[in-house]
Amino acid sequence: MTAFRFAAAAGLALTLLAGSAYAEPVTLTWWQMEQPPQRVKRIQELLDQFNKEHPDIQVKQEPQSWGDVYAKAPAAFAAGNGPDLLNSIPDFTTVIKKIGAVVPVDDLVKDLDAKHHFIKATLAPYQYDGHTWAVPAYNMALSMWYRKSMLKEAGLAVPKTWSEWKTAAQKLSGNGKYGIGLPANKQLYTDQTVYSFMVNDGAADIYNDDGSFRFDNPKTVAAYQTYADLQKLSPPDSPSWTWGEAEACFNSKGCGMVLQFTVISSYNAQAEGDAADLGVAAVPHADDEPQSATISYSNGIMITTKDKAKEKAAKVFLSWLLEPEHYGRFLNMEPGLFLPVTEDGAKADSFWNDPVTTKYKTQVETMIENSKAGKLFGFTTGKVFPSIGAISAQNVIAETLQHIVVDGQSAADAVKAGQARMTGIAGK
Amino acid sequence: MKNTALALVFVAPALLFLLAVLGWPLVQALVFSFQDIGIIGSKGHFVGFANYAEVLGGKHFWFAFGRSVVWVVGNAVVQTVLALGTALILNQKFPGLRVARVWVILTWIVPTVVVVIIWRWLLSTSGGMINPLLMESGIIDRPVGFFATRRSAMVTLILINSWRWFPFTALMMLAGLTRIPGDLYEAARIDGAGARRRFTRITWPLLQPTLIVLGIIGTLLSFNVFDVIWLMTAGGPSEATETLPVLIYETAFKGYRLSEAATISVLTSIILMGFAVFATRAMTASEANR
Amino acid sequence: MKRTVAQSLVLYAGLLVLVLIIGLPFWWVVTGSVKLPQEIIQRMPTMVPHSFTLKHFEKLLQSSDFPVYLVNSIVVALFSMVVTILLALPAAYAFFRMAFPGRDLFYRLILVAYAFPGIVILIPLYGLFARIGLVDSRASLVIVNVALALPFSIWMMRSFLGSVPREIEEAAVIDGAPAPTILLRILMPLIAPGIASVAIFAFISSWTEYLFASVLIVSDARRTIPVGFAGMIGQYQIDWGLLLAGATAATLPVVILFALIGRWFVSGLTEGAVK
Repeated sequence: MTAFRFAAAAGLALTLLAGSAYAEPVTLTWWQMEQPPQRVKRIQELLDQFNKEHPDIQVKQEPQSWGDVYAKAPAAFAAGNGPDLLNSIPDFTTVIKKIGAVVPVDDLVKDLDAKHHFIKATLAPYQYDGHTWAVPAYNMALSMWYRKSMLKEAGLAVPKTWSEWKTAAQKLSGNGKYGIGLPANKQLYTDQTVYSFMVNDGAADIYNDDGSFRFDNPKTVAAYQTYADLQKLSPPDSPSWTWGEAEACFNSKGCGMVLQFTVISSYNAQAEGDAADLGVAAVPHADDEPQSATISYSNGIMITTKDKAKEKAAKVFLSWLLEPEHYGRFLNMEPGLFLPVTEDGAKADSFWNDPVTTKYKTQVETMIENSKAGKLFGFTTGKVFPSIGAISAQNVIAETLQHIVVDGQSAADAVKAGQARMTGIAGK
Repeated sequence: MKNTALALVFVAPALLFLLAVLGWPLVQALVFSFQDIGIIGSKGHFVGFANYAEVLGGKHFWFAFGRSVVWVVGNAVVQTVLALGTALILNQKFPGLRVARVWVILTWIVPTVVVVIIWRWLLSTSGGMINPLLMESGIIDRPVGFFATRRSAMVTLILINSWRWFPFTALMMLAGLTRIPGDLYEAARIDGAGARRRFTRITWPLLQPTLIVLGIIGTLLSFNVFDVIWLMTAGGPSEATETLPVLIYETAFKGYRLSEAATISVLTSIILMGFAVFATRAMTASEANR
Repeated sequence: MKRTVAQSLVLYAGLLVLVLIIGLPFWWVVTGSVKLPQEIIQRMPTMVPHSFTLKHFEKLLQSSDFPVYLVNSIVVALFSMVVTILLALPAAYAFFRMAFPGRDLFYRLILVAYAFPGIVILIPLYGLFARIGLVDSRASLVIVNVALALPFSIWMMRSFLGSVPREIEEAAVIDGAPAPTILLRILMPLIAPGIASVAIFAFISSWTEYLFASVLIVSDARRTIPVGFAGMIGQYQIDWGLLLAGATAATLPVVILFALIGRWFVSGLTEGAVK
């Protein structure tokens, strides 16, 4: 009798325990750096759906800005209140990896790759030191944007090589208009545009295999020289530009051509919005190079929790997010900007049924095509050296350009000083 | 004696509060400066004065210090001129004086981030008003890039920062002006002193204590201005606007060398403290003379 | 007081310049916020809007948590203001009206607080707040804002106290009133306008603070206006219309506030003096 009672009580207690274990969902905090309101809203819609479908997991987002996350995330991890999931770009991953906050996602990425087939260029910058450090989430690649009517009027074909490009930029200049809008700010945007010249001159690698620098070479110098020449045809305020100013210059017809990840949504809302007239092409290449390449930023999501249950939950969430039916909606948080990192994502209905993406279908297809030839400085050889974090964050590539454009140094001197600066940073 | 105890009770909360919030972190920064911490959150070892030797031996610190001096002096000159002019105007009687005295402060109550965005837009060549305005008034004949050369970048930043601060300074000066007894002016007028003479003999000397304090606090505050510069130029072009606070931020959060940043901070604090101690001595002297 | 024609000319010319320097940028921003996007980025800008739309404001209110930021900013600023006054008033009184050993030293120490770049204390302070569980709380911002506003507030308060004739106080002392009573019953009413000025100073310092708020606050629900606004700028793209609407909306609350109490700030500064 007593034994039965005891067993019954124990059984009840167990069910209660198990029940409460079920009732207590795993909560994941996700820091993502897509802070403009419409992006936050779209991500929230997806999270609401996920949380509803998975009662045992609750994912909540905390939008952060790229501007201060470099200070905030390390401080938060040091204080023990960092997030469980953290968005990243390759150079940021090296920083978070260095403080030991990232968990490798080798198996997860292998599974996802088998299912969805990652575009190789998006995965490569996160694979080094024997592991995969983030799950690629969306890609961005720089393209050249122009107006078809404007080129036609000037009797120009779409430039493919640097000499054609120079001619085009000169012909489009005049009458208070600028043939091309290239930034020269000490800022990430300029890093990107300058590097897109370097990759098109076969100067994609800035490191040797032993970790020393090969930035200072004739091809880099030629890329800087060409950039500086074209930059002279840009508006006078371009030394302080970020993406937004370049976009505005293009949309107001002040600039004939710009290098951008996208201009689609602003062109659609702030300019003519004529899809037939908006041209996009690969960044032109040096005359002696066979084809174009570009810079691409594969944005990834890192798992940054040491808790096993949370890690498991995070994997469930990331797998869910990359399912084609959800993934397209995720990318379209900013239609025409974020590109798929998976083969099936690039075909997903959920991606192509967005009205803006549909309207600019040919442009988006060109962007995806360009992104396949994308590279990122410091992540080109399969070997990654820790100093790339500080070199990216301090915009050494852009700074080198400023020495030419603002200080009037020769390209050779500036590049030489740039390499010295990189060596100095790596030595610390 | 009882009075002393009571005075300490009055002063203690404010003092202890400042010690806890400012003092403790400073000790921490001092500790960091003797270690070799890289990224925030990583461990460091004791390295003695190695960071100090490196910072003081390199050129970055000294260049940034030089720019900080230019920045502070530039701001002081522009703001004092604008603020004094404004204060003198607002000390006159004219229709709409009350409205003017309230709304002159408009630029100061706007958050810095907003100020930066406003000027980024106004100075751009797509939609910005400043270039067309200058062209129409014949000052320039083609659009210029305000942040395109080293000098113009610094000047533009000083003007933007002053734009935000001068009305506040002006009201502080106005407060000083209104404390000058009116009968002094009356007496001077009866003695036949003209406007200029009244200014140099009464206004200027009696405004001194206010000007000195505003000068000291203003110097310290503008020395430490970070957000306007960072959000506008990030220290560029070609480091032309990289003042000490910008260098500290960049070293800590972009170069991932926390200890070096702490070292620069400590050195900066020592310089400023030296200035403050020296200057507040002058201030207490001038206040005692009142 | 009679002005000569030349003096009047100088005065009104100065006023005009002042109005243009301060008013024009705001005019451009406010009118810009109701222009269509095409007109905002037009290469030849317009002084008076040729188009009118409220869609930037609609977007601002629909898709961002602007009202939440607004409430946070107001809450943080109000608390910062109250705490600043509570700490500054007795301290200033002691500094200016009481004799005690170390008075000058302490007074100087307080002003020297401004000698430290805010960035210096940012990281250690973050660690401190994390340890006591204050990261991502509005309380942490109040603490920082008070620390930043306090030294100047004490100085401001001190000069208001200085304008009260000593005789008034001495009479009270002879009557045997204790110091707290003197402060509360006699001085407070006299320097009320001064206190109002200091309060407004503390409020605005907190209202505009960006650096600490950007690092100490993590969740969207606790962001203040400057940080929320910075978030709208966005990497890769700028929506100028949205930003101009945001700038207008970020300015409007303090403009309303100043319309109501602005004259106290100025009169507190200027009329606190006993002529």
